[in-house]
Amino acid sequence: MAVDLDRCTGCEACVTACHAENNIPTVGDTQAARGRALHWMRVERYWEGEFPDVRLKFRPVMCQQCDAAPCEPVCPTYAAHHTDEGLNAQVYNRCIGTRYCANACPYNVRFFNFFNPSWDKPLHLQLNPDVSVREVGVMEKCTFCVQRIKAAEVQAKAEDRSLKDGELKPACAQACPATALVFGDLNDPESEVSRLSRSPRGTKLLDDQGTQPKVTYLQRQSSE
Amino acid sequence: MDRREFLKASAITGASATLAGCGHPEHQLIRFIPEEELVPGVATWKPSICPLCPAGCGLLVRVMEGDAEVVRNGQIGLIKMGLAKKLEGNPAHPISQGKLCVRGQAAIQITYHPDRLRHPLKRTGPRGAGAFQEVTWDQAIDELASKVGALAEANNQGALAFWMRPSRGQRRELVAQFLHRFGAPPPFSFELFGEDVLRRANALSFGREQLPTFDLARTRYVISFGADFLGTWNSPVSQNIGYGLMRQGRPGQRAKLVQLEPRMSQTGANADEWLPIRPGTEGVLALGLAHVILNGRMRSADAAGRAGTLVDGWMNGLPDFTLPHVETLTGIAAARVERIARELAESAPAVAIIGGAPLAQTNGLFHALAVNALNALVGSVETPGGVFFTPIPNASSKPDAAGERERRRQSAAPTLDKLAAGILSAERPPIQILLLDEANPVFAAPPAWRVKDALQKIPFIASFGNFLDETSILADLILPDHSFLESWVDDVPEAGTTMAVASVAPPVMKALHQTRAMPDVLLDVARRLPRLNPPLPWQTFEQMLRASFEALPARAAPQTTPGVQPAVDVWSKAQEQGGWWAETPAGTRPPPNVATRDPGRPVSFVAARFDGETNEYPFHFLPYASQAFLDGSLAHLPWLQELPDVVTTAMWSSWAEINPKTAERLQIAQGNVVEIASRHGSLRAPVLLSPGIAPDVIAMPVGQGHEHYTRYATGRGANPISLLAPIVEEETGALAWAATRVRVSRVVGADLQLILFAGALRERPHEHEGR
Repeated sequence: MAVDLDRCTGCEACVTACHAENNIPTVGDTQAARGRALHWMRVERYWEGEFPDVRLKFRPVMCQQCDAAPCEPVCPTYAAHHTDEGLNAQVYNRCIGTRYCANACPYNVRFFNFFNPSWDKPLHLQLNPDVSVREVGVMEKCTFCVQRIKAAEVQAKAEDRSLKDGELKPACAQACPATALVFGDLNDPESEVSRLSRSPRGTKLLDDQGTQPKVTYLQRQSSE
Repeated sequence: MDRREFLKASAITGASATLAGCGHPEHQLIRFIPEEELVPGVATWKPSICPLCPAGCGLLVRVMEGDAEVVRNGQIGLIKMGLAKKLEGNPAHPISQGKLCVRGQAAIQITYHPDRLRHPLKRTGPRGAGAFQEVTWDQAIDELASKVGALAEANNQGALAFWMRPSRGQRRELVAQFLHRFGAPPPFSFELFGEDVLRRANALSFGREQLPTFDLARTRYVISFGADFLGTWNSPVSQNIGYGLMRQGRPGQRAKLVQLEPRMSQTGANADEWLPIRPGTEGVLALGLAHVILNGRMRSADAAGRAGTLVDGWMNGLPDFTLPHVETLTGIAAARVERIARELAESAPAVAIIGGAPLAQTNGLFHALAVNALNALVGSVETPGGVFFTPIPNASSKPDAAGERERRRQSAAPTLDKLAAGILSAERPPIQILLLDEANPVFAAPPAWRVKDALQKIPFIASFGNFLDETSILADLILPDHSFLESWVDDVPEAGTTMAVASVAPPVMKALHQTRAMPDVLLDVARRLPRLNPPLPWQTFEQMLRASFEALPARAAPQTTPGVQPAVDVWSKAQEQGGWWAETPAGTRPPPNVATRDPGRPVSFVAARFDGETNEYPFHFLPYASQAFLDGSLAHLPWLQELPDVVTTAMWSSWAEINPKTAERLQIAQGNVVEIASRHGSLRAPVLLSPGIAPDVIAMPVGQGHEHYTRYATGRGANPISLLAPIVEEETGALAWAATRVRVSRVVGADLQLILFAGALRERPHEHEGR
């Protein structure tokens, strides 16, 4: 994925889109105050300078799907593992809730279920049947909407063709009005996401940690 | 529902179906037959329209089969039905273009909200106590029809009032026609963040009484006076789409954004240059820019046409707006004003935007007219990269253009403060029956208008809303509407596109509860009124929509070959794609939609008035539309409650934003509770130190502080509207919600918590500085 920070306006459409797509529960005010709100996708904001010469910068942060992911080797049950396609997958049924992965992750994008999720009826009718609901004691994280990827792959296979660039989008990229989030196949040098990742504005988040993240952030420009 | 519950429920319903089925098997069976077109596990996508704000984004709704627990004829049963699962933007729709905002994504929670009203209710306890009993639809409609009929018997038709949220589609037209034929005044709307001032200004300057559309994708320079156009203002989704393109849509060309506002909004955060201007002087800066452009002979005064002549001194080069004078009034350095003026003149196409707080000052109309004149001067009206006005399709469902008549009368309609005062002062209230459709003026009006007291005096109130809120809890009778996903919806967007658009969509799913669509209930009531003259010609709202869409030209089909007019079924096509839209032929401008009125004399700057003396109330109070809740009407949705506000990362609560230097002077720290008091009220909230706010301004998001609004919003936080002075924009009478002054004092021992997302993920305090 590529994130163009010059396009991102901090509108947070990606945040609710992610909740809607991935059956992420709300935890309520008391738990949220304890830092237990689950947001696979968040928009970080950074203040720079002092009034009146003050700047505010936004950065959407989701799982960076690292190639050298620190969360994977620490998992005693192989719940956090690398797929053939290069995703950091989380197998909920294997997870025993040691939270080692959350400690190891420098991006704070792994979330722990302190409780069984609940939806006040009939809010549960909105749940996406393609995504499993996580139970208490299980770690969860951004999957790049793996259910959408799989569905598109199955569809393409049924039609006996390969996936087209831009054919499938995770919920966040689908919602993003300013098209700041671009998803695609990094192995295809012709894809839009590959083109953006080669941009001179491109940077990786906490690159010095050696995690080899697969999300490229294109820095915001200035017209001054 | 877990597996065990599911099995239990299916066993119970199966058994009851078998037992009850003995009597009338055919009735019972029908309830359990699944919808045929649904294949389990396969999603279908159906068009709809987002109802949350006036932007009117087109939706695609993902519908899949699911098991819903429903009550039918007093029996609970589990029924397989198509259920909406996710909302996305409709790629074919000219406004949303496949995208959707943070609020639109959460709109689905309205339909499945646990505190939705599920059946008609009649009040049993005292008014406002919230004690209701269930009644049948026949009883409810009978009661409403007999009350309304009694007004007609008494020849007092004018005492029927209908208050609804503003809309421009056939839903409003139906209400208007019903009221007109009955002999009652047209429907009334009051919005905290209403746009009457800007509409009036655009009518005066350009002959277009509507909100503007900005061609951001093709512009090179944007100067915005207080408009949070990327967050909450006007048509946020289409404006965000345009913003993405204006920044990175054209290789090598990146437009500049300058934002003027005393508190950094989400839009301000994206600006290349952010200037904290003194509240109530925005128009002065616009004219200061025009002064530089005129005096530097970069444009001629004639270029602004009519919009220029509305401003006093325009043809003489605006001698009152010299740079030193502008600097004194606005607090923006003269050199900076001059540089921005040059950039603006040299970076064609450029566009100026005004919205939000500047229009909510006592001199709001002046600011809007000044910005309009600036736009006209730099040549950006109805030109690429500039400001446009969406053509409004003539989708009137004849035979009677009540809409046009209504619009004319609406301009003379009383404002909410006058309406409330009229009810309070009269021996016999001029409104005997009030019908409410989701409007919530008790929450949204300043307390000094005494809207709640006025409503208490009205003998009979009926509400169609989906939820109990501060206003509908006063109702005597509640006839709950379907949710937007369960009913026919339509809308005519006012801004956000240069195409003429009329959106329409059929229900995407069956009703979950025993609700009925308001337009159909109104038609039902109308049929029971013998004196409606002439009677409404439609049996259902669907018929009315069909009639109005069939009256539209059929040229929306893109595959039309020149000279050949294919017989396109407009109605079917509109239902299929979610509306009707047509490109305006190139080079034609839509005609003015209002007669250009003469404003009398040209406008000149009069200093904004503020309620409260400066020494006693040293701070400007700025309530702003919250990213999550807008004007508070969305505070009932849990996803939006738990959304970290993007500028502050606060959730589930209210907060007051204060400049860190000011806080230091007052010895207030982040998270301390303060009391904020105006001459009209006071409230308590935790303090959030924000580097992006002027030292003499206190800002609070609107939305929390509901007394009654479902389990998620009731009793949460404080309502900043409760501080507002009853002060109005002087030319239009619109509420000047940014013209109140307040004082702040620390409260020790109060138990109010600031709930922040930032820094809460892991306790590493040294990293939190500056976050």
